[in-house]
Amino acid sequence: MSYEKEMIEKLERGESVNDRLDIPLLRYLWDASPLSFITTRESYHDFFKKITVLSSFSDNEVRLFTKFLHLREFQMNEVIFKQGDSGYGFYFIFSGAVNVYANQTGVGFEPGEFVIKLEKRQYFGEMGLLEEFNRRSATSIAAENTILLGIFKPDLERMLEQYPVLGAKFLRETALIMANRMGQLTREIVTLKKRVHEMDQKA
Amino acid sequence: MTRNQKIKLYLFLFLLTAAAFFAILFPRLTLPFGFAYIMFLMTKPLTLRLTTGSRRQRLGYFFLVLLGAGFLFFPVIATMYSADFSSLTDQLPDAQRSLQEKFFAFKVMVFQRTGFRLNVDPVSFVMSKIETHGTDLLSSFPNYLSLLLEWVILVPIFLYFFFMESRQFSRRLLEAIPNPIFEKSYVLFSQFNTKFGEYIIAKFIEATLLGTIVTLGLVLIGFPYAFLLGFIAGVTNILPYIGPVLGIIPALVVAFLAKDPSVSMVGMLVVFALANLIDMILVFPLLVSKIVNLHPIVVIVSIIVGSQLAGVVGMIVVIPFVAFFKLLFKEIYKDLSVQL
Repeated sequence: MSYEKEMIEKLERGESVNDRLDIPLLRYLWDASPLSFITTRESYHDFFKKITVLSSFSDNEVRLFTKFLHLREFQMNEVIFKQGDSGYGFYFIFSGAVNVYANQTGVGFEPGEFVIKLEKRQYFGEMGLLEEFNRRSATSIAAENTILLGIFKPDLERMLEQYPVLGAKFLRETALIMANRMGQLTREIVTLKKRVHEMDQKA
Repeated sequence: MTRNQKIKLYLFLFLLTAAAFFAILFPRLTLPFGFAYIMFLMTKPLTLRLTTGSRRQRLGYFFLVLLGAGFLFFPVIATMYSADFSSLTDQLPDAQRSLQEKFFAFKVMVFQRTGFRLNVDPVSFVMSKIETHGTDLLSSFPNYLSLLLEWVILVPIFLYFFFMESRQFSRRLLEAIPNPIFEKSYVLFSQFNTKFGEYIIAKFIEATLLGTIVTLGLVLIGFPYAFLLGFIAGVTNILPYIGPVLGIIPALVVAFLAKDPSVSMVGMLVVFALANLIDMILVFPLLVSKIVNLHPIVVIVSIIVGSQLAGVVGMIVVIPFVAFFKLLFKEIYKDLSVQL
């Protein structure tokens, strides 16, 4: 039985899942081996290898990385974090989906405007891991029953102490995500400035 | 938040408060538990990899630490300090006589210069006080012995629990934390553990270094009770600000009462000044300052409150607790200022 299936069935039965993602070594090695094509299910190895942040990791590095992840389950419509909350962690979607809302008005429990729906294997909240005093810039709500894998600041510090090479690699990948987002933002600003300039000239 | 999540959150907060009350109400359990936890945290950086091994490996390591602590500390301390202790108790009557002589000379000097006759006898008063306290201490000795026996049994049991089950325990604890407060609780819990562990190790190293420097210095200048005075200076140095002052008092008393002209008060003062200078210039900035950043007044008030709550142990462990609460309140305040 696949790990994801096991988790989902546990959730459906109303049982709680472990806080840490603890994959047995032999099970992981079997999943990572070329012989794993025999099984039709998607393995943890496949799951993590398809996540872009971890694409440059070796199989053993992915295995070590999973030791630092926390497994948190959220019911449908449960708030993961709100805009303005202090942020300390970075989440991968293991199963389910997450809706992201921004521009919260601050009145009642209205989450704000819908921005995007994130699906399995996508990630969010990386700023929380890197910034010293991070405030969440958007509200995230579980769109269905969802399992998230989170890595938090103390885990990153521990990783850098215990496996410095792995920690540096993960930081580099996270910095790359941030750089890509910055580039995207800069391009958007340039386009918007151009539009404002054109509108000014027309007026 | 759904109804179930709310119930989970309130239940968790209730359990946390109940645990805190239990800890305050039963210090006989809390203190050995805390002591075992401190020992575990002190050995944790060295055993980080070993404790993640198999159960048998961890069990082996637990006994190794226990045996090491027993073999290293007890005989070394006992043989080193028993000689100093016995000669100190032998010389107490001499000290009383010397004090009385010195006070008599002082009385004569006052009478000769002012014509005023001093009719008080503080030396006998202080000595009788010491005697009564001594008998009190002796009469309550069985209580102390039973407490010691309790610790001898409880501390290894708790230590065993920390070595074998700490990973599972922290996992269960993290599992129980409800989602809305998970991130913050986890980060604060980790920060507290790191701060507490680092503080205890730093203080232990600082005390050992200062005690060694004072002992060596006093041995070099031929000062009596060098081992005992060095040990006292090291232990008292654990307390910030007040510690160095408390540490020098016994040495001052010994120097004041000594008849032997080779016992130099100036030499002793130089040794203590040098040891504290090395501590202030080298050890403190390198080891302790980054861990605790509290105002001196806060530190002194905390030590007094700590001593009221849990005696000597309270005085030592109160500082990282206050540092943690400062962090906690800062976080809560930061959150509130955003929400308002």
